[in-house]
Amino acid sequence: MAVLSISATDSAKDSERPSPVWTRWLDLSDRAMAVLLLLPAAVLLALIIVYPIGRLVYTSFFNLSLTSGLPAEFVGLENYRIMLDDPVFWETTWNTVLITLITVPGALLLGLGLALLANLPFAMQWPVRLSLLIPWALPLSFAGLIFAWFFHYEYGVVNDVLNRLGFEGIIWFNSPNWAFAAICLTIIWKTSSFMALIILAGLQTIPRSLYEAADVDGAGRLRQFFEITLPLLKPAIVVALIFRTITALQTFDIPYMMTGGGPGSSTATLAMYIHQNTVSFLDLGYGSALAVVMFILSMGVTAIYLRIIRTKEA
Amino acid sequence: MNALVSSGPAQLLSGKPLRFIAAGILLINGLFPALWILFTSLKTEGELTAKPITWVPHAPTLANYAQAFSDQPLHLFLFNSFMVALLSTCLTLLISVLAAYALARLNLRYRGAILSVIVAVSTFPLVTLLVPLFEIMRALNLLNTWIALILPYTVLSLPVCTLILVSFFEGIPRDLENAAMIDGCTRLGALFKVVVPLSAPGVFTAGILAFVNAWDEFLLALSFNSNPTLRTLPVGIQLYQGEFAFPWPVISAALVVGIVPVAILIVIFQERVVSGLTAGGIKG
Repeated sequence: MAVLSISATDSAKDSERPSPVWTRWLDLSDRAMAVLLLLPAAVLLALIIVYPIGRLVYTSFFNLSLTSGLPAEFVGLENYRIMLDDPVFWETTWNTVLITLITVPGALLLGLGLALLANLPFAMQWPVRLSLLIPWALPLSFAGLIFAWFFHYEYGVVNDVLNRLGFEGIIWFNSPNWAFAAICLTIIWKTSSFMALIILAGLQTIPRSLYEAADVDGAGRLRQFFEITLPLLKPAIVVALIFRTITALQTFDIPYMMTGGGPGSSTATLAMYIHQNTVSFLDLGYGSALAVVMFILSMGVTAIYLRIIRTKEA
Repeated sequence: MNALVSSGPAQLLSGKPLRFIAAGILLINGLFPALWILFTSLKTEGELTAKPITWVPHAPTLANYAQAFSDQPLHLFLFNSFMVALLSTCLTLLISVLAAYALARLNLRYRGAILSVIVAVSTFPLVTLLVPLFEIMRALNLLNTWIALILPYTVLSLPVCTLILVSFFEGIPRDLENAAMIDGCTRLGALFKVVVPLSAPGVFTAGILAFVNAWDEFLLALSFNSNPTLRTLPVGIQLYQGEFAFPWPVISAALVVGIVPVAILIVIFQERVVSGLTAGGIKG
């Protein structure tokens, strides 16, 4: 609550009412202090986020290609019009949405399963915890490379297991569908550990007594899961889901490392297309317009997120 | 009767064999990829291309590690990654300690709005700012410097670190701080001499998260630092692939070298990392 130093409360007791000048001075100092403390963060956010957003929107109205050597030319909404007719834009956007729709629920299911297993009463907790933390800490780009090796046609362990089980090995990265499947599996594996850690923390806050009471009432394990565990996990799951959705919309590292977007652009994501237009083609105008679309997409999800948090607090 | 029926499956679910299987699934799921890369890194090119493929290397060799360091300046990649992660972690901690103190202790009128901004920034897609950040770094002559990465990485971790620190600061009794101030400490002095030391676990947790975030980042590092001697590890590791050749044992060796530092960090500080993740995730 209100922050008052001890001397202030003392002086308030001395006189009948607190001196208005004294209080105002305290308020001012509090506020000045707050401004001072928040200033570094504000300056950094202004430099790295706010100003760039403005510049991004501005550039998206220009024809600015560093390869042409021509000065920037104002073209209004031309970049956005080009985008509507650009099949690669639609393909990469669709891929991004599809990856989100497949890997977010996939990671949730795998993460929930892992969390339920990890919540069993093990004698030693640290190996279990480690088995969830190592995948979480593994860089996405490393995961992409490792799984590209897993799915290697000739020497990959996935095809080796398939062969041992009597199936033909799959040429994963030559077909758009198999390549897409390999990428989705990799993302699900990589991101499920974060889900599992969040859900596990939620599981550990559920009081044991609830289950004991349900046992007494004769509710089976399955019913206990659906009527106690899942409802109580819901807040943790919702937050984890939204975080995952937003990061899934930004998918870049894993497909970049595994397929480079190929064959063709069948596994390229919107983030990869932005990167390609910006860094490879140096077409900053079009790259900016693409980024504006992605910005709007993810801000939409963030708005939903903020709303859920607010209603939770209320 | 009911008690008997429900204790059957209950016993099965918490029984020893099931726990054994569960531990097996968890360990294989979590550690197999890293283990497989370790095995690959110890194989000779000859063993690698033998069919059917071997799992555990027959004649383990460290030659791939030597080659990983001689083919590319792997020590520079490690150094760059380490310095960028370390410096951005220090900067993140400094800025978020100040901001978190203001949010936890001072009576801010716009506290709710500021917290919303922090949450919004925590989900911000930095990839969308690739073009403007690229232009800004170029205008400031910062491309191919550590600073070009340190500043965005600080923003990347600032929200989660601030949220973790706010919750820790709120748990420190005000009396301790007031006592320090009566003893002649300034407010900032009390922050750094009383509040921060008492919140050491929180500061540590936030620091580890910031370090891992920076260590893992790929896209900005790929786009801003094209100078070979300034590449970070995730970007540098790509350089091992030739146009047609993919020297998997050497790449694997480089990957192992890149995984080990963070793995050590995780093994030592696992409990703090877990508490930080859940605090940032659920509270956020």
